[in-house]
Amino acid sequence: MLQLAVRKQLPGFTLDVAWEAGDEVVALFGASGAGKTLTLQCLAGLERPDRGRILVNGTVFFDDGTGTNVPSRRRRLGYVFQGYALFPHLSVADNVGYGLHDRSREERQRRTAEMLERLGLTGLADRRPRELSGGQQQRVALGRALAVDPELLLLDEPLSALDAPLRRQLRTELMGVLREWGNATVLVTHDLAEAFQLADRIVIYDGGRIVQAAPKSELLSRPASEQVARLLGVRNILRGTVLKATPEIIELSWRGYVLEAINSPIRTYLPLPGTEVAFFIRPEYVRLIRKDRPVDPGHHMNRMEGAVVREVDQGTNWTLLVTLDHAGTPAQGDHDLEIEVPKLVYEMLEIARDRRWAVSMHRGSIQVLPAA
Amino acid sequence: MDAFPILLSFQVSLAATVLTLALGLPLAWVLARRRFPGHDVVEAAVVLPLVLPPTVLGYYLLVVIGARGPVGRLLDGLGIELAFTWRAAVLAACIGSIALLVKAAQAGFEAVDRRLEQAARTLGRSEWNIFWSVTLPLSWRAVFAGTVLAFCRALGDFGITLMVAGSIPGLTQTMPLAIYDYVQANQMREANLLSLVAVMTALLFLLGLGRLARLRF
Repeated sequence: MLQLAVRKQLPGFTLDVAWEAGDEVVALFGASGAGKTLTLQCLAGLERPDRGRILVNGTVFFDDGTGTNVPSRRRRLGYVFQGYALFPHLSVADNVGYGLHDRSREERQRRTAEMLERLGLTGLADRRPRELSGGQQQRVALGRALAVDPELLLLDEPLSALDAPLRRQLRTELMGVLREWGNATVLVTHDLAEAFQLADRIVIYDGGRIVQAAPKSELLSRPASEQVARLLGVRNILRGTVLKATPEIIELSWRGYVLEAINSPIRTYLPLPGTEVAFFIRPEYVRLIRKDRPVDPGHHMNRMEGAVVREVDQGTNWTLLVTLDHAGTPAQGDHDLEIEVPKLVYEMLEIARDRRWAVSMHRGSIQVLPAA
Repeated sequence: MDAFPILLSFQVSLAATVLTLALGLPLAWVLARRRFPGHDVVEAAVVLPLVLPPTVLGYYLLVVIGARGPVGRLLDGLGIELAFTWRAAVLAACIGSIALLVKAAQAGFEAVDRRLEQAARTLGRSEWNIFWSVTLPLSWRAVFAGTVLAFCRALGDFGITLMVAGSIPGLTQTMPLAIYDYVQANQMREANLLSLVAVMTALLFLLGLGRLARLRF
């Protein structure tokens, strides 16, 4: 159980965050310079917050009210630094055993050997860090942090130093280690895929503040604001005007069409008619209406017509940029909508040749974003 | 020729180097790792002995440790004589050479990645322990170079030693002082020989230092 509320002012930057986590993996996600690493350093006692309170498993690590500030060495944390910060003058075994200095010699050797074996480093015990590959270094750093049996594991961009293919492999490996370990883990990353694969809960940082903290399942389907949607890399974020809002549906006017979106009954978000709101539709949820099938008006909600102006080959998918038949500037510069179709569909429908299409969007796929 | 000045010089320089390390390493660490008001003043003060005339340093040192100085009187009460003894020569050599060690060690400590020390901290080690297990093993080359330079500088001190320890033959007359006396007395053969010893010693140490710096461990 981890509770954190921290405020720290630096020249030109203020960190002001608060979040909580159980025995799960929490990812702090955001651009570099958003305050993620600073939060980790406050947690580890390497930086002293100006104000706030940090509580880990019932122990107060920091509280400016009572003046409590437990020194780093007594916090029992495993910290995997960005770039690993392995001791270059020590062997792999001595790196892993470094935190076990207060145990007996036999205990230290036994525990070190156990960690090395668990991480597949047994044959490398006498090597120096510079003789290891990036992936091996990452495992030594993880072993060194876990050897002391910490209360909390902190990972700062644990995979960003690795090449893409290795990164994918190690991400899976790391996930296995974290699941096996099972205690609270805080992971700092600017890689959304990493956050989604490794974490249970995601805290989104932007400019020293938290813009949303939610279980990852909730995040993509219900971003808290347009800002979050943009940070998550959501495409087709559009702006429309509210015509009508009930707890069940929101009707929007956009590019001369009337769109119907499902409202979220839990949020009971009821913007007044005339309000400008942001909404998004994921490119893979925009449907092309096939010309060889009979028209079924009930099936094709939010029907619109337009032309493919550009397309991008994504390997297994094609991204189509579509401009709707409506006067005025397209919503996203030179196009109104991004649509993603599998390669097979692209070929079957002969989209390379046939440019005019009608599209539809199910009202459940249009997500109206609350004003920030 | 009397071998006493050579032996005394080595003894004094060795003692001075030990003292320089004991005082200089903590000072270098504080300068490298802590920020405090007056940091720049301390840094400048450390280098001051390198640029001041030795007579000025000797004069102030004499004011402090002389029979009527605050430290001198305190030690006198304990029955310890300082001024015009070999101990004063040690102090003189230390003051003349400590800047060389502090600057070298400070640069060495600053070059150690701070995250390594932070990592050690999260792994439960105390600051004292981190210095010996991480900082020093990663900066020993710089510290060692500074130590050798300080030792060589201590061997060669003339002015400060003359001011506070005098040039008492058989008691406080170190190698550089003896050379001066020989020249004054027109004993050129002796002056020549001692000078050669001084040059060869310093050259040997600096050569050894250069060799060591190229070794990999």
